Amino acid sequence: MSYRENMLCSKSHEYIVKDGDKYVVGLTEYAIEQLGDIVFLELPSVGDNFGKGETFANIESVKAASEIYLPVSGEITEINEQLVDSPEKLNEDCYEGGWLVKISADNFDNDSKDLMNYDDYKSEVE
Amino acid sequence: MVKETYLHGKHVKLGAKMVDFAGWHMPVQYSSIIEEHKTVRDHVGLFDVSHMGEVFVSGKDATKFLNKVVPQSIDKLQYEKAVYCQLTNKNGGLVDDLIIYKIGIECYLVICNASRIDEDLNWLVRNRRGMNVNIDNQSHNYSLLAIQGPKAINLMKKMGYNIEDQKSFTIKPAVIADVKLLASRTGYTGEDGFELLMENEYSEYLWDEILKEGQEFGIKPIGLGARDTLRLEAALHLYGNDLDETTTPIEAGLSWSVPKDKVSDYNGKDIIMNQIHNGIQRKLIGLEMEDRNIPRHGYEIYYNGEKVGIVTSGGVSPSTGKNIALGYVKNIDQIITGTTIQIMIREKLHDAKIVNRPFIQKRNKV
Repeated sequence: MSYRENMLCSKSHEYIVKDGDKYVVGLTEYAIEQLGDIVFLELPSVGDNFGKGETFANIESVKAASEIYLPVSGEITEINEQLVDSPEKLNEDCYEGGWLVKISADNFDNDSKDLMNYDDYKSEVE
Repeated sequence: MVKETYLHGKHVKLGAKMVDFAGWHMPVQYSSIIEEHKTVRDHVGLFDVSHMGEVFVSGKDATKFLNKVVPQSIDKLQYEKAVYCQLTNKNGGLVDDLIIYKIGIECYLVICNASRIDEDLNWLVRNRRGMNVNIDNQSHNYSLLAIQGPKAINLMKKMGYNIEDQKSFTIKPAVIADVKLLASRTGYTGEDGFELLMENEYSEYLWDEILKEGQEFGIKPIGLGARDTLRLEAALHLYGNDLDETTTPIEAGLSWSVPKDKVSDYNGKDIIMNQIHNGIQRKLIGLEMEDRNIPRHGYEIYYNGEKVGIVTSGGVSPSTGKNIALGYVKNIDQIITGTTIQIMIREKLHDAKIVNRPFIQKRNKV
């Protein structure tokens, strides 16, 4: 799957990309680069529900702690558990091996209206 | 306006991530904080700390004057020696923490925190009444480079430094890469190393030379991010976090820097002496998390369900892989080294253990 071509991004630097009937959510490489060395990651439990824009995970770099927001409302169906044990892997790859959670999203079309494609996102952050 | 050191252009060119720190636009990291941290612990790192303040205090009453504004016995300080001390207010709280160097007869160099230069100068001027002393802020004319790490001495020698056996906490005129400067064997990392004070115009040349000559020793430029993790592991206080105007040196665990037998008076002496003899209400502790959560500045500390204090500096310790912090707690007998306490992180309590400071074995004494 090509992440950059297919994903949508939020202003708070989360990405979301369709994968079968589910959606994969993570942080963009720009966000990871801004954070620096990642040293801590806390993910929700499978089955948890979050509204659009709600905090579903916490991430910390050496410098600071940040919250991660769900770009659309949904239910957590899978979490990337390996990443919790070695969050530093996010500094190498925040897509293929570095996604955070998978969700089912019933209201995707409506919730995703303010999200940007990668090119627009890139010009927004640069 | 945000200030820039003489080396600002070098940092930008090296691709450093720049941040505002105490009114200065400074490099927080060049590559990775963890990588830079390990470079200093294992090899050698170069820091631009030119934002720090340099104040020269001289005149007939210079010794008497400094003796009146810090708890340390400046009258006992010998030529070319340095002493860590604090500028106290009337309540024994700290206006700043400093290193004072004796560089001549009735002539001292005071190195102070960038964020506190104005307050320090104000306080010094207010305290000099009736004394023959000249307070000369030269911060804008000098650059300060720190070379820190186990290979610092090798690099210095390679660059022409030829002083035999310079001890820690001494300062000497030296020649490095043909530049005349003052070399102080001090630092803020817990490692052996030097802080080099030079006139601004030489700083760019020396910065480049040190990075070039240091290559064989694995040198890297080090930003403020790693400076913070290094000093935290060494349990060195950061003014503004661990020290402020309401904190006394005794509460801050700095009793070792407060002589018990000093005869002359200084600001806050009654309160500080009273604390030495009768105890304190709160004390500085070092702590280590029992899980992977990271304690940070401002987080609350709990013991037996009761809030007993606050974290003042915290973060990861790249050298030990632990998450560590400094903080203040109520001074009760039950809270001692080995005691399990809790830190409130994201509305949950997480166990931590009180441990001895520093968090690593310091190697800065030579």
